[in-house]
Amino acid sequence: MLETLGNSLKDAVKKLSGKTVIDRAAVDELVRDLQRALLSADVNVKLVMQLSQSIKKRALEEEPPKGMGVRAHVLRIVYQELVRLMGRPGEVSLEPQTILMAGLQGSGKTTTAAKLARYFQRKGLRTGVICADTFRPGAYDQLKTLCDRISVPCFGKPGEPDALAIVREGLSAFRRQYEVIIIDTQGRHALEENLIEEIIQINEIAHPDHRWLVIDAALGQQASEQARRFHEAIGIDGVIVTKMDGTAKGGGALSAVAETRSGIVFIGSGETIEDLERFDPDGFISRLLGMGDLKALVERAEEAVSTDEIDVNAMLKGKFTLRDMYKQLEALNRMGPLKQIMSMLPLGGMQIPDDAYDITSTKMQRYRVIMDSMTPSELDDPSIIGSSRVQRIARGAGVAPEDVRELIKYYKIMQRALKGMRGMDSGRFNMQRMMKKFGGPGK
Amino acid sequence: MFDSLKKKLQNIRTKFASNIEEAAGVGVEPPQPPGKAEAAAPLARPESPAVLEEREKPTLINRVKVFVREREILIQEKDIEEPLSELEMVLLENDVALPVTDEIISRMRAELVGRHRRIGDSVDDLVVSTLRSALCGVLGEGFDLLRYVEEHERPVKILFTGVNGTGKTTTVAKVGHYLQKNGFSVVIGAGDTFRAGAIEQIVTHADRLGIRVVRHQPGADPSAVLFDAVQYAKAHNIDVVLADTAGRFHNRANLMNQLEKIRRVMKPDLVVYVDEAVAGNDAVIRADEFNRTVGTDAVVLTKADMDPRGGAAISIAHTVGKPILFLGTGQGYDDIMPFEPRAVVDELLGR
Repeated sequence: MLETLGNSLKDAVKKLSGKTVIDRAAVDELVRDLQRALLSADVNVKLVMQLSQSIKKRALEEEPPKGMGVRAHVLRIVYQELVRLMGRPGEVSLEPQTILMAGLQGSGKTTTAAKLARYFQRKGLRTGVICADTFRPGAYDQLKTLCDRISVPCFGKPGEPDALAIVREGLSAFRRQYEVIIIDTQGRHALEENLIEEIIQINEIAHPDHRWLVIDAALGQQASEQARRFHEAIGIDGVIVTKMDGTAKGGGALSAVAETRSGIVFIGSGETIEDLERFDPDGFISRLLGMGDLKALVERAEEAVSTDEIDVNAMLKGKFTLRDMYKQLEALNRMGPLKQIMSMLPLGGMQIPDDAYDITSTKMQRYRVIMDSMTPSELDDPSIIGSSRVQRIARGAGVAPEDVRELIKYYKIMQRALKGMRGMDSGRFNMQRMMKKFGGPGK
Repeated sequence: MFDSLKKKLQNIRTKFASNIEEAAGVGVEPPQPPGKAEAAAPLARPESPAVLEEREKPTLINRVKVFVREREILIQEKDIEEPLSELEMVLLENDVALPVTDEIISRMRAELVGRHRRIGDSVDDLVVSTLRSALCGVLGEGFDLLRYVEEHERPVKILFTGVNGTGKTTTVAKVGHYLQKNGFSVVIGAGDTFRAGAIEQIVTHADRLGIRVVRHQPGADPSAVLFDAVQYAKAHNIDVVLADTAGRFHNRANLMNQLEKIRRVMKPDLVVYVDEAVAGNDAVIRADEFNRTVGTDAVVLTKADMDPRGGAAISIAHTVGKPILFLGTGQGYDDIMPFEPRAVVDELLGR
């Protein structure tokens, strides 16, 4: 579904290439496909309409700069408008600060609070977490367990019904010792007046430097409304998008950004405590649209659209080396889940084992670092990597040898998958040859 | 629930009605923009020669013919284009996923275009009945859990699945309470052994409700926990086993395999998929994926109290084609409501 959207968008873009005059019908089509892509990514309907209006207007009215083709011109406008919609990435300063977490039930505040603590801890700041969720059973246990794993102190009083008292006590206990204090709160939504009142009061006592809104990537059109009320209540200055490791596109976060006039600070992308990433607008746009890196497209707009990124033909010819995998992982970083990319490739109904998809972005990052520590000849021919080379690579990349072996295993899975595909191809070829041999319409 | 959708749908209804009414005026005149003809009264003017053909294509000639002969008008596509695209926007704004919206719209179009309408008949009725059948078709039938438990061999085993943070654990507690209130005995299997604090959460809920929980250590095999829960129920003649599980994303193969194993081991009678009413387009993708891996017999929609638009209900019901069992409507144990599609559609259309 989404892959086809990405494709039709690509087709629409392709239609623009080679044109010298801007073609209204082609622009209309592009805008329509863009609308569909954004709507199915849960971007607010009104925002989408505004965006498409201004893209259409600018595309038809603005003169392309000298030397710039029509396609490059239109793409640039699309990109600029999307970036404008996205806001600037939220600032994260590495200095003493207090952060208040807010969000709907089940959006992932507690997990994110622990991930944030880990982030600041790794940056060398003394970090403490306060659990002000007095409602959900097990909330303190959850936060405490997560914090214990990374040896971050967690303040909380299970059984105490007054969140304000906990925050007050927690702050006075932590303020002198810790530089970064993160306050986790109970999930609430905009219609729960007394809970909104509670978070207003927490905000008043705590005087946090940041008030971050946690948004589930799957949140739909409701995102605007919720963000608006939270913003009215405590003045949101940053948005964290969670659960980006699913298939949701996170368009709801854009609505939240637009409502709060803030920016996206972090992206949560996995279940382990390390799975928190700084926000990267280009990657986010690519994912929204289900197509490759739009910025790169804009920059290289005169080249053909889809020849870049992954050299499918070389892969099918049987030359799948670690280099190809490296390129693939790089592309992956920008384009979202592997499954999606593979389904964009012209592989027919080829089945790829599910393990091959099961790779988190942190792992991907690690794989890339490991590959950076390999020599060119190792990248070209991974079969030469023996145990002493594994040792060397592991040391160079600062990982355990098991990680290097895991990478090689992953490479082999991918290679096998591609081989299977080739097998199919040559199978057909053989079939043709056989038909000839068996004296079909030979001469 | 469904308030915003309801309001908008009612606006649309009047829009359709007036557009079709306008179209009635255009009947005998040469085609002109529908907006201009609103004043023309639908009078029969027996002057155009009727060509004898029995197709229902809303061409001008046919329209005139039908109009003249039968004092009916034929609805054509352009009469309803504007309200249809407005309806499309309304559905999208209310979180009905794009593919589902497309289908409802095309169903409406197919239903309405080419329909005859008697001049005297109310346009409203026509539009409402079309919308109603489109929505009812999507929402399907409800599901009566109490009757199901009543009619099946005890213990009835219910497995709850879904992605992270949709409210499975809370729902398990609420359903437990609901069944208990209605005279059934319940045991809960604490199958979320992964998320920190999950076991504490379900145990606290159960203690408050006086429900027994079968639990293992954090990190234990959920299949084993739930198997034990079933054994416990059998040994103690308990009516219903509610099996909580860890939230998992549908694109994590190993977690989905684990769920498949749970299903094999505990052999649930009902697999209940839990998702939130505020989810957008992704609701469709993940509902589909869960349905394909472990199957889904019924759906619970949580967080319906967050100024719900109800679109997710329509999207999910349409995707998996399974009934919606409950709506979760708040933080209390009583905040759960059996879902009755007919009542909802009646409510939406103001009947």
